[in-house]
Amino acid sequence: MGSIEGILTGFQVAFSLEGILFVMIGVFVGTFIGMLPGLGPISAIAVMIPITFGMDPTPALVMMAGVYYGAIFGGSTSSILLNAPGVSGAVATAFDGYPMAQQGKAGKALAIAAICSFIGGTVSVVLLMLLAPLLSSVAISFGPPAYFALMLMGLTAISSLSEGSTIKALISAVAGFIIVTIGIDAQTGTQRFTFGNVNLLEGLDFLVIALGLFALAEVCTLIIKRKDLSQDTHKLGSMRLSKKDFNEMKGPVTRQSFLGFILGVLPGAGATIASFIAYITEKKISKNPEEFGKGSVKGLAAPETANNAATSGAFVPLLSLGIPGSGTTAVMLGAFLVLGVQPGPLLMTDRPEIFWGIIASMYIGNVFLLVLNLPLIPYFAKILKIPRPLLISLVIMFSIIGVYAISFNTFDLYMLLLFGVVGFLMRIFSFPAPPFILAFILGGMMEQAFRQSLTISNGNLMVFVNDPIAISLLIVALLSFIFPLIRVLRKRKG
Amino acid sequence: MLKTLNQRISVILVLIAAGYLILAFQLPSYPYAPVDADLIPMVLGFLLIILAVCLYFSKDSETEEQKARRDIPKKDIGALLAVFTFILLYIMLLEILGFVIITCVFIFFCSWFLGYKKHITNLIVSIVFPLFMYIMFTEFLRISLPQGIMPF
Amino acid sequence: MKKLIPLIAMMFLLLIAAACADEEEASGSGDSGDTAESSDWAPESPIEIVAPAGAGGGWDTTARMVAKVFTEEGIIDESIGVVNKAGGGGAVGWAYIAGQDGSPHNMFVASPPLLFIPLNGQSEYGHEDFTPIANVIADYAAFAVAADAKWDNLNELFDDMKEDPSSITVVGTSSPGSMDHIQFVQIAKAAGVDVTKIKYVSDQDGVGLTQLLNGSVDVFSTGVSETVEQVKAGTIRVLGVTSEERLEGEVLEDFPTAIEQGIDETFVNWRGFFGPPNMDEAAIAYYEKKFKELSDSEAFAEIRGQFGWDEMYMGSEEYSQFLDEEKENIQTLLDELGLGE
Repeated sequence: MGSIEGILTGFQVAFSLEGILFVMIGVFVGTFIGMLPGLGPISAIAVMIPITFGMDPTPALVMMAGVYYGAIFGGSTSSILLNAPGVSGAVATAFDGYPMAQQGKAGKALAIAAICSFIGGTVSVVLLMLLAPLLSSVAISFGPPAYFALMLMGLTAISSLSEGSTIKALISAVAGFIIVTIGIDAQTGTQRFTFGNVNLLEGLDFLVIALGLFALAEVCTLIIKRKDLSQDTHKLGSMRLSKKDFNEMKGPVTRQSFLGFILGVLPGAGATIASFIAYITEKKISKNPEEFGKGSVKGLAAPETANNAATSGAFVPLLSLGIPGSGTTAVMLGAFLVLGVQPGPLLMTDRPEIFWGIIASMYIGNVFLLVLNLPLIPYFAKILKIPRPLLISLVIMFSIIGVYAISFNTFDLYMLLLFGVVGFLMRIFSFPAPPFILAFILGGMMEQAFRQSLTISNGNLMVFVNDPIAISLLIVALLSFIFPLIRVLRKRKG
Repeated sequence: MLKTLNQRISVILVLIAAGYLILAFQLPSYPYAPVDADLIPMVLGFLLIILAVCLYFSKDSETEEQKARRDIPKKDIGALLAVFTFILLYIMLLEILGFVIITCVFIFFCSWFLGYKKHITNLIVSIVFPLFMYIMFTEFLRISLPQGIMPF
Repeated sequence: MKKLIPLIAMMFLLLIAAACADEEEASGSGDSGDTAESSDWAPESPIEIVAPAGAGGGWDTTARMVAKVFTEEGIIDESIGVVNKAGGGGAVGWAYIAGQDGSPHNMFVASPPLLFIPLNGQSEYGHEDFTPIANVIADYAAFAVAADAKWDNLNELFDDMKEDPSSITVVGTSSPGSMDHIQFVQIAKAAGVDVTKIKYVSDQDGVGLTQLLNGSVDVFSTGVSETVEQVKAGTIRVLGVTSEERLEGEVLEDFPTAIEQGIDETFVNWRGFFGPPNMDEAAIAYYEKKFKELSDSEAFAEIRGQFGWDEMYMGSEEYSQFLDEEKENIQTLLDELGLGE
């Protein structure tokens, strides 16, 4: 029973004085950096690497892991309070979190986010501990055809993100997809729609689009409404959750802890995709989907649970295979290497204290995050008490730092401004922004997976049918597309 | 022909799609891939045209609340344009003047312009906030922000 | 009308400030002109090392580690800052450095993409636009296959590729015409494979290894250090590496080189430092000496060991020659593939 011994070693490491101390430092720094505009887990980890150099690897990595999930945990605050997501995993959080804060329930929204993050994080650590060795085969089971099918399945949800007109939602999505085709095409090296501008070669960064379409567009609305303030938006509201809230949270939190974890395990999917898929599945199965987007408890609980669950999930391929599934875990892998630890299939047997120590420390980390964040909520929410004109200026400044910190280049800032205008126009002409951002995230990966599949198969389309995972996902995608149609047709007949 | 709003938007979208398609057709071809870089852009361009045509013929389904969003008083349009000009200046001068100075100036004047009357508080916030962010980024996080003409 | 007061006031203030900034800059550049004359040059203001990529990548890590050793070992007293200028696979950062003409306090870290990207027409600046200061480390390419693959060495793989090129897919991180693709093409060509028939897919986010493990692709073209742990665990095998001689170290020493398999070709993933155009001779000499010191230091040897890098010091002159040769090689390959400008 090597792994039980391993788990015990892990707990010993995690619950030692040193372990507890470093987890605490890690999650504290992580939430803090995550809350800062534009600084997500990647910068948080990169910033910490030089600091850990020369440290004993176990506490150092326990701390780094804490920085990672702490940053995801902290990222939701600015989404909820300012509609300014600083991390891509927190975009879906803004869909219902921000409306809720606008209704004078900021305290409640932050409390829900913190509790769901905690549960999502903790459930997925249990899964990680029980299943990590087994799940490593799941992590590599997705080939390009399966990824294509997964992304397509996510895209079928676009119509469910509409605010009335399905056509307008689809147009938004196509526009988002068009924007992501800008840049060097990975499969051919061809420059697409770059107009010879070096700043466009790598395409537009996700944050430029997200902060433009959400934060700056919101700034415009705030400017127009700056005089007719209803007092609600200043209110913090009670942090206490009612029994009804808990009942509503129950379903999404349970489902998305698992779904988010599984999506996190898949390299390349990660917290962002998990949070979007969580949001749209909950909307699809909800009895009152019309509440979504208007401050629904479920709509906030789902992505917040999923993005934290996915973060733990991402440790499966990283720790047990040495495969970084995302930009963030790639930097995390770098952090391991700096400390002379090579994650991979042998880590569990060679360095059980590190493998299990990190996992066990995540229980403590999640508890710390909850204990750290809940009492601070009233202070965070004070942001809303800032007089409107000042708040508008500060949100603009945050967006600018956030985007500047990506590439240290003013070109991206002009793009941010451009997408602010686009976002505002979309808003006043009732084109929804979420399909745009969803297509921007999924579209690029879908195209690449599609073309990789066809290169591998020498152009044979059967590659999507012969792959069992791909075909099952495609059938699900097809069904989720057909069912609403049938429902509409039936209604008409009736 | 262009009576409804949807029809006007539709025409603009068709023009955008056409421009995008022209660029897509000009993409150089790459000899070694069964699906070249131009396929998806072409599909997207045509899709956008089809959707725009659908929009042209679709009935207006906006709720009253959505329509109300377009009722922007002239004065507010002016305010929006002014704030965007502020932001534009902010971006243009960011690397020349440095983060701290331009951000102080921006926060102070933008808030004042939008009707914030407590000048003392405004001044304090607009100096303390940028300084705090700057020191945090450069000293604590070691991420450099533009220093500009500041001596440190 | 009252509304306009803040507007006008802001404009006015900005104008004055901008004017000041111009003056400052003008006087600043005047200063550095006359001090650069003396032969015993030393930096007089903080040194800026640009990593033309985001935080956490290979360039960023190298730059930060080098800066750290310079400072902590007391090799350079002046403070050193690492600045990230991401974008265009490096092109944005290079354009920035090209704008610092003659400055002895700016440099950037580079590796083969500095040759690939201009050749692919994605940057107007290439290595010849900058001042090579010194090369510091070398890394090599490895070609890996799944543990249960049918090939035991590079020749068997290449023989199959000659017979039925459409049955074998190679995966790498970079796009075609850049590193992971060309390092494979270069070796395959020396083995007599028709390089226009090689099937290559690019997989970002490090998913390439996943695709190898689940059998979607057949060969993974990557860096040596990325393969070590997987080989130890027995999930993949390395058919060949592109170094001149066998590498040192546990596991690494078991990797056969292409040369010992009768394929007379190498590929070096060099990493070194460059200054802006027209850097002063005295400054180059100063930095050359300091990089040599760094390269010989124990602290840096430890870092090299940690990351699996090889030592490869080259001074400015030698470096520049080496780069010209490399560029010519790559150009020939790209021409043959019909890629590049």
